[in-house]
Amino acid sequence: MSISTYTMPLGPVHVALEEPVYFHLTVEGENIKNVELTSGHVHRGMERMAMQRTLVKNVTLTERVCSLCSNSHSFTYSMVVENALNLEIPERAKYLRVLAEEIKRIASHLFNLAIQVHIAGFKSFFMHVMEVREIMQDIKETVYGNRMNLAANCIGGVKCDVTDELLEYILKQMDVIEPQLEEIKDIFTNNHIILTRTNGLGILPPEDALALGVCGPTARGSGIVRDVRRDTPYAAYPDLEFDVITEPGCCVHSRAMVRVRELFESVKLIRQCCNKMPKGPVFNHMGKIPYNEAFAHTEAPRGEVAYYIRTNGTDKPARLKWRVPSYMNWKALGVMMRGCQIAEVALVLNSVDPCVSCTER
Amino acid sequence: MAGFLKVLFRNLLQGPSTDPFPLVPETFTPDRLRGKVVINQDLCMGCGICSYVCVAGAINIEKREDGHTITVWHNSCCRCAACRQYCPMHAISLEPNWHSAHAEADKYKVIEQKTIAYEPCSVCGKMIRPVPEATLKKLYVHNDDVDLNHVRSLCPSCRQLEDARRSAGLPPAAEKKAVE
Repeated sequence: MSISTYTMPLGPVHVALEEPVYFHLTVEGENIKNVELTSGHVHRGMERMAMQRTLVKNVTLTERVCSLCSNSHSFTYSMVVENALNLEIPERAKYLRVLAEEIKRIASHLFNLAIQVHIAGFKSFFMHVMEVREIMQDIKETVYGNRMNLAANCIGGVKCDVTDELLEYILKQMDVIEPQLEEIKDIFTNNHIILTRTNGLGILPPEDALALGVCGPTARGSGIVRDVRRDTPYAAYPDLEFDVITEPGCCVHSRAMVRVRELFESVKLIRQCCNKMPKGPVFNHMGKIPYNEAFAHTEAPRGEVAYYIRTNGTDKPARLKWRVPSYMNWKALGVMMRGCQIAEVALVLNSVDPCVSCTER
Repeated sequence: MAGFLKVLFRNLLQGPSTDPFPLVPETFTPDRLRGKVVINQDLCMGCGICSYVCVAGAINIEKREDGHTITVWHNSCCRCAACRQYCPMHAISLEPNWHSAHAEADKYKVIEQKTIAYEPCSVCGKMIRPVPEATLKKLYVHNDDVDLNHVRSLCPSCRQLEDARRSAGLPPAAEKKAVE
């Protein structure tokens, strides 16, 4: 360490989001030379808690790991238990699960984009994006009964059947939100403030992205075609049409653009779900719990969520382990932040859409 | 920049999108909002599946000789609707009531509590929870000849005997007793 470099602590409170993560930045003047990260401030021992609770109760517990991707957790957990129990879910439940997942994805992406422009100093646009997000929040509240925790999934299907009137309502709201999303896309593509703050910032080259195993919009923003929905299709995704969005820019702006363009893919998926929704039951009962182990993974808004379970014939899991996308993605922050300025740390951090409470659980 | 100015002026003209609650009596509350848990005491059989699936431990069922009391603590309840999902009698529902403010002194009183009284079996006198009429109608939908009020007053084992008697063409147990 030369005389001109020094270590600077940043965090743990409110670096980008209201979630704690602690950076040790080695800086030379304003420029960052090295990044180290300390986390664990919100560790709640949830894997242990899951082992002390029954399989049914854990659906609710895993939904509370994190707020923005809450549905992805209960979805993947239900899938892993169904794999362990060899339980088939009804066709209608598959579509309803995808519907809930895509509604959550739009809300999550809009939230991240809003925070992105908030950090860039574009507060009025932040308010606007959050206002557009309210349309999704209203859909969640009207259809599922809560603005964040949908409680849509249960082992063997879904808890919440969506009536035909509500499917009509969702389709109507999609027509309302789509022109507003077009407007947001236009502003993200052309706005001077956003482009100067984010374009070319926080470069993650594709070879580093591959080496670090990043996933989700962070990987797709570096031009890597990686999407669990396409690679190992689950639920109703094999029957639905959508594109995997990639951007070649490798920077903060291209990661944001991946999210912006994915909003339209989600709208497309929601429309297809509403139109193709099969009739029938939404829920199959659990059978005998065997000695077994199983794995399931899905594409959450931030990337791949993977669950592993080992059952031991009792109603409590012998082991439940999950891996969330932010764990790989924030390893890439070291590459992204090298050469950045201190003022840009929050922007770069937000571009991977970190979910600290998921990662530390 | 022009793109955003258009949005900005439109939003200015639209005015605030928030409701000035509590100055207005009610705000956006959809019918399916998951609010406070309500128990239908006509249907609750006290089987306890709700407290088995409740991750928050908010439901307690106290069984006594002459009845059972089911209690839901609203302050513990996380409104995951698992009880509603798994209740075989559909006795639990979540009403769209999200008003949960209360004085500190009332914190143990914010509960939903229903006591279901048991009745003696008309044949053997054992205390039982009579099966709700709607459920009996469903169970005996193909047996028009059965007197539902009589079946309702029987305990499970007497009902089984009763069914066997009916199959064998014998008179009902209660009538037999009266003859003796």
